[in-house]
Amino acid sequence: MDIDILARGLVAGSLYALVAVSFNILYRPTNVFNFAQGELVMLGAMVFASLATVLGWPWYAALIVTLLGVGLLTLLIDVVAVAPVLARSQHGTGWVITTLAASLIIANGVNRIWGPDPIVVRPPAPLTTDTFSLAGMTVSAYQIFLVLLTIILVLAIEQVYRTRQGKAVLAVAEDREAALLRGVNPLRLSHWSFFLGGAFAGLTGVLAAPVLYASTGLGPALLLKGFAAAAVGSIGNNRGALIAGYLIGVTEALGAALLSPGYQEAVVFLLVLCVLLVWPHGLFGRPFARTV
Amino acid sequence: MAASVAKSRGLAGLLVQAALVVIVLALPLALDPYGYPLFVATQLGVYVIAAIGLNLLAGYAGQVSLGHGAFIAIGAYATALLTVDQGWSFWLAALAGVALSALMGVLMALPSFRLSTWYFAFITLAFAQVFEKMIVEWRGLTRGFAGVVGVQPPSVFGHVLEPAGVYWLVAIIAIIGFWLVNNLVHSRFGRGFVAVRDAPAAAQAAGASPARLKLLAFVIAACFAGVAGAFFAVQKTVVTPDDFTAEFSIFFLLTVVLGGLGTRWGPVVGALVFFLVPELLTGLESWRMMVYGAALLALMLFAPHGLVGAARSLFDRLRPKQAGQTTQPAETVQPQGAHVERPAISGLALEVKDLRKSFGGVVALGGVDLSVAPGTCAAIVGPNGSGKTTLLNVVGAYYRRDAGAVLLGGRETKGLSPQQIAGEGLGRTFQTPRLLGELTVLDNVLLGAFRRERASLPGTMLRLPGAMAEAERLRAEAMELLAFVGVADRADDLASETPHGHQRLVEIARALMGGARLIMLDEPAAGLSMTELDRLEQLIRRILALGATVVIVEHHLDLVASIASHVTVLDRGVVLASGAPQAVFADAAVMAAYMGERALNEQASDQLSDEAAGEVARPRPVPAKGA
Repeated sequence: MDIDILARGLVAGSLYALVAVSFNILYRPTNVFNFAQGELVMLGAMVFASLATVLGWPWYAALIVTLLGVGLLTLLIDVVAVAPVLARSQHGTGWVITTLAASLIIANGVNRIWGPDPIVVRPPAPLTTDTFSLAGMTVSAYQIFLVLLTIILVLAIEQVYRTRQGKAVLAVAEDREAALLRGVNPLRLSHWSFFLGGAFAGLTGVLAAPVLYASTGLGPALLLKGFAAAAVGSIGNNRGALIAGYLIGVTEALGAALLSPGYQEAVVFLLVLCVLLVWPHGLFGRPFARTV
Repeated sequence: MAASVAKSRGLAGLLVQAALVVIVLALPLALDPYGYPLFVATQLGVYVIAAIGLNLLAGYAGQVSLGHGAFIAIGAYATALLTVDQGWSFWLAALAGVALSALMGVLMALPSFRLSTWYFAFITLAFAQVFEKMIVEWRGLTRGFAGVVGVQPPSVFGHVLEPAGVYWLVAIIAIIGFWLVNNLVHSRFGRGFVAVRDAPAAAQAAGASPARLKLLAFVIAACFAGVAGAFFAVQKTVVTPDDFTAEFSIFFLLTVVLGGLGTRWGPVVGALVFFLVPELLTGLESWRMMVYGAALLALMLFAPHGLVGAARSLFDRLRPKQAGQTTQPAETVQPQGAHVERPAISGLALEVKDLRKSFGGVVALGGVDLSVAPGTCAAIVGPNGSGKTTLLNVVGAYYRRDAGAVLLGGRETKGLSPQQIAGEGLGRTFQTPRLLGELTVLDNVLLGAFRRERASLPGTMLRLPGAMAEAERLRAEAMELLAFVGVADRADDLASETPHGHQRLVEIARALMGGARLIMLDEPAAGLSMTELDRLEQLIRRILALGATVVIVEHHLDLVASIASHVTVLDRGVVLASGAPQAVFADAAVMAAYMGERALNEQASDQLSDEAAGEVARPRPVPAKGA
């Protein structure tokens, strides 16, 4: 068997882990799992590609504008589509439908603006997508960078949760009212979480663009594989998401190699179903029980 | 008087429905037998069948399926392939399609139904995406993009049906499906579905398993989708992958949201409107998903119960309100229910030994012992955060214990689920009443009987005499219990429109309805007025007089002192003192140790502490975490 499968799996897995982390950032204080997240990643890739490749902006300027833009759009989703639904009923799942609606609107809008043709995005120098051979695997400098950066990002985010602000986030996730009594404003925190979760989705899109090309069709697949990584790695657990991302990436690459590329999704789906059947709360622990 | 109004309205509704059925069945007589309008009308019928199922699942049971199109696809492909390739009769093939659809539903639902609702949404979305790919991938079986061509219409008694015949078949199945689901919704299953959606803990307290109810709703919805798929194949005669894209699933979701989630006529209205709109939207084809998205968003924000809900609230606003019907304060309603005779209850003993429970590093229960003799009233008091409610939750198995023993009537309850323990005779109320706001008070009490009702699913759906008689019997008993707790006059009000004090009484009635022999009351006096408090005390006394065991968690020490025969004082998860109320409360050291000076002041100003307690009992966001 081809050892390249491992390389492909790790690269794809890194991207799935990043999507899962963007879910988690948004989920932890709000308990909302944003169904528009896949399209936000896609939007990040498209905006960055347009600014950097088509308009020729320097990569850092394009990056900043992309993160701000996608973050603000996600904030808008919170204000328009999520907060009003949650204000009506805390335990309802109306937000499933409203964030899905946001996803449809973004997907259709982006498709109309950019059209179906993918845009090639080159990573900033000295990184390249030129491949070379490393320990029997065909890899590029950018792929190595992507895998390493993902690990660094996940570890850095875990550090942030240890700070005062980070603990506030966890406190709100635990008990919204109690956090309120201690001077944490849950609504503001939830706006921030949407902004940051969205910006991180945008970043994921930027990082994915050189590997996958920027295309309007990226959304649905990344949404589901990001969900898969988040669910298998236990929702809210970023390190779990990282490991689950690799697991899913490699499984998918194996499925594609052994069966046929058409089976990629099916293999991932089966993996998620089996994991959830045995470990309903994912491989890395269960959240606190909260009932009455 | 009110009853006769309701009856005449029921009669009018029946007439309208009969007229609709006649119109629906007479439609082909007015249309060209081979024309496009009849084709569209048949298609509408197919979509209504699928939408009825999805409404049961997403509307009543609250489980949003984002991949319903895939289940229709299973029915359609199974029917097309089995009839065209294998030469099966339509009926057999359709049956196989329905079974396959239901089976796939079960396989997918099993893991997700133990978790939060949105897992299910994701799983169904993923399934639809995978299925779409697989149709193309397995082109040897499904013929890929070319699709299955030449699906024949079914035969009835050897006659191959004409388009009008197919229409009639579809229409009759849609009408029967509507009737079946309507019967189901108005049964214990329907109450269970709504409980799963709005208050899963209440469903468990009533002995209903949320996971099983969700599974049931999903299997029924998948069956409806399978049936719709079978007729989809027949009506279109061609089945291709392009018919079943992600868009198709979104279309069905929008149909039921548009009509009104969890309303009887929602799926019918939604499908009907949707069939008029696309004709207007043909110029906007490329904007379609944008329009769907915007429509879903706008509906969820401004009309969560869709067109039917909007029409109903408009109707309610225009109708002259009967003065003071819902604004009447609780205290002016007098019936005490003391006259209502109830059969004796054989109370259950509760024995708790060295019970331990920690959340992360926080020890909520650090080895609690408690012993309650049958037919007595035991009170648990202590400051906020001392572990009182945790104790109730561990006893009821809402939380899993870390260590220790809980014996109910002498039997260890380890390993039982909350609903199984409820079935053993443990009833409870909640700190914040968990009533189903969209159901009537009577229906809320009837939910309590979920586990007692024996009628089968088919019996309920078909309204068989046995099931009807049982439902009638339980209804009478629920009325009697409402009279017993003193709120019989509110039986037909919506629970959400009932005053807080009454909601607590309704919860007690619900627990009694479930055949509770041990009732755990979690701060029943919180937020009650003095009058209501008196009534509560009388009610607890009458429940004790019947023989039931009562465990009460309460801040109201007057109430505790007057009704409890045994008091346990908890502080930070351990028992600080326990014994007869006089002895415990007389112990100044105990009082000072667990409440400080405040305790002594509190007794002097009950009114104030009332308000404080009401404040604490405010509804708390409880994310639906796979409870």
